[in-house]
Amino acid sequence: MSIEEQYRTRAKELLSGGAVKMVIGYGKGSNAKRRRPIFISSADEVDRLVLDDACITNLSGYLVSEGLLSDEKRVAVFLRPEGIRAINILAAESQLDAEQIVIFGFDVAGNEIKALKGINVEEFSDVIDSIKEGAPEAAEEELFEKIEKMSPQERFSFWQEEFAKCIKCYACRQACPMCYCRRCIVDSNQPQWVNTSSHTLGNFEWNIVRAFHLSGRCVECGNCDRACPVNIPLRLINHRMAEEVLGAFDHFAGTSKTQEPVLASFKKDDSETFIL
Amino acid sequence: MTKILFSDKLDNCVERWKSAGLTVIGPVQRANISTYAAVEHAAELDFGLVLPDRSIKDLFFPQSEPMLRYTIKKESIDTDECLPPSGPRIIFGARPCDASGMAIDDPLFGWDYKDEYWFQRRNETVIVTIACTKADDFCMCTSLKMAPDSTKGSDIMLRPLAGNKGWLVEELTDRGREAFKTIADILQESSDPAAPLAVVEKKFDLDACVAWLQNPENFESRFWKEISMRCIGCASCTYLCPTCHCFDIQDEGDTYTGIRRKNWDSCSFALFTMHTSGHNPRSTQSARWRQRIMHKFNYFPGKFSVNSCSGCGRCSRQCPVDMGITETLQEISKLSL
Ligand code: SF4
Ligand code: SF4
Ligand code: SF4
Ligand code: SF4
Ligand code: SF4
Repeated sequence: MSIEEQYRTRAKELLSGGAVKMVIGYGKGSNAKRRRPIFISSADEVDRLVLDDACITNLSGYLVSEGLLSDEKRVAVFLRPEGIRAINILAAESQLDAEQIVIFGFDVAGNEIKALKGINVEEFSDVIDSIKEGAPEAAEEELFEKIEKMSPQERFSFWQEEFAKCIKCYACRQACPMCYCRRCIVDSNQPQWVNTSSHTLGNFEWNIVRAFHLSGRCVECGNCDRACPVNIPLRLINHRMAEEVLGAFDHFAGTSKTQEPVLASFKKDDSETFIL
Repeated sequence: MTKILFSDKLDNCVERWKSAGLTVIGPVQRANISTYAAVEHAAELDFGLVLPDRSIKDLFFPQSEPMLRYTIKKESIDTDECLPPSGPRIIFGARPCDASGMAIDDPLFGWDYKDEYWFQRRNETVIVTIACTKADDFCMCTSLKMAPDSTKGSDIMLRPLAGNKGWLVEELTDRGREAFKTIADILQESSDPAAPLAVVEKKFDLDACVAWLQNPENFESRFWKEISMRCIGCASCTYLCPTCHCFDIQDEGDTYTGIRRKNWDSCSFALFTMHTSGHNPRSTQSARWRQRIMHKFNYFPGKFSVNSCSGCGRCSRQCPVDMGITETLQEISKLSL
């Protein structure tokens, strides 16, 4: 039985027995290369679930939709390892109760689908440990190195050209499971902390604010990068910040649901006299 | 016999237009995105795109526009009005859906108040459109009763010749004729046939959709919630749309001095209709998505007798969760059977 069929069967059992109220998964999209998030609440509809190498979007963000989990019922969700890390972070930051989440874990290697064993988030710690060791893909590695080797001026010009394209559509924020704030700092206007204009300065402000807010929290799922309609390589920023946090604090985001958020915790014996 | 502009002569035209003081703008690929931008040479133009990621709207209604600079003094307020940079321009190689999008928005910007930012740019810009010989899965001009060679909003229509050799020229407006006078001697007479146009499948029955939307009973239909469950509420579909025109006015600066700007806004945002009291008449994403569809296919045509959509398909092509106007109208088409 293919993993797709196994998961459909499991979804059917969970829904018909009332163990979960909803399964969030992937369905057919508008063409063969696209898959779209779907929400299944009835056992009769499980055949709409699709699982193949086009299922890329990290669906964990839907779990924090207003009101979804407030009735304390359980919800099942299809997640790749990055999505599972996101559940840990959301639980650690008190955005959801991990007990309410039933995980349909999977990973994509080439165009092969691999099932990840487990139901509750705790059962996936081996999977998470193994990605901590993993390196970025070769093509990206080259780009990272190229940017690392640039002089500060060159790097500034690189990002200036990229950020000039930003239209402040906030698709990056909306697509990100970690950007769950009901009122984002850029939407606060009493006072207006960040310019709303999408001129180059405003775009720098926005993208830098976001990079900092995601440091030590980003799971590198790539949702923001894929959502950006003007193709700003946001993954480069995310990866750089993740490396920074790993190097400075030995922190890899999303290893457990009790992990302390790196920029929201402090130690009395911190060697720094100033805490940001 | 029709006039033809051969591709290998385009650089001469660009030179001519530049010498005549026009800024030449066209489809280009820059910094990993396709858009319409100013060029120096014909070689920079990319005619292989189905259509650029960004629409030509940006050239008439930029994402952030300065309106005035102000300084507040003890007794008075000094203001300095900012007008758009002026100067004649020619957009060479717009797509029919982009050109018609500008014509769709003309009545809106000229209705109760004549928006000088929009009209100054409209009056100073010649739009030379190239008919489409290829389309992708998301193109839907035909569903909007338009076509890959619709002339709406264009000053010149070019129809490609077979083998990318050049274009058949059709002059549509005085503004277009004027710009093409500069290159009259570069054009040649020919009886070469045009290449076949793109075949764009009709995806929904527009009239049936509009009738369903106009039925007040459907305003509270469960349909809205179901269709928009996966919408994440970004503005990518509205900001890439050639016809979406909402904006917000913001003062940037400190208490005493600053600049007033007109910035794009989108009905997808939760903040779009938020009142200062905290009440939001469109408090859910489904209500916001309903607004987007209703505005385009019910309210806008009710006021201006034209749908606020040219069928470019960008909203669906770009949506991070594979939604878009197309799917919604397809589903409404089914409901109204
Ligand atoms: S910042 Fe981007 S890559 Fe990181 S968690 Fe958010 S969406 Fe995923
Ligand atoms: S998705 Fe891209 S264009 Fe939109 S706000 Fe984010 S960085 Fe800017
Ligand atoms: S339909 Fe898609 S692009 Fe438009 S607001 Fe919703 S998620 Fe964003
Ligand atoms: S609504 Fe969609 S298809 Fe219609 S003009 Fe706007 S982006 Fe294009
Ligand atoms: S669809 Fe929304 S953003 Fe676009 S013009 Fe209408 S109200 Fe404005």
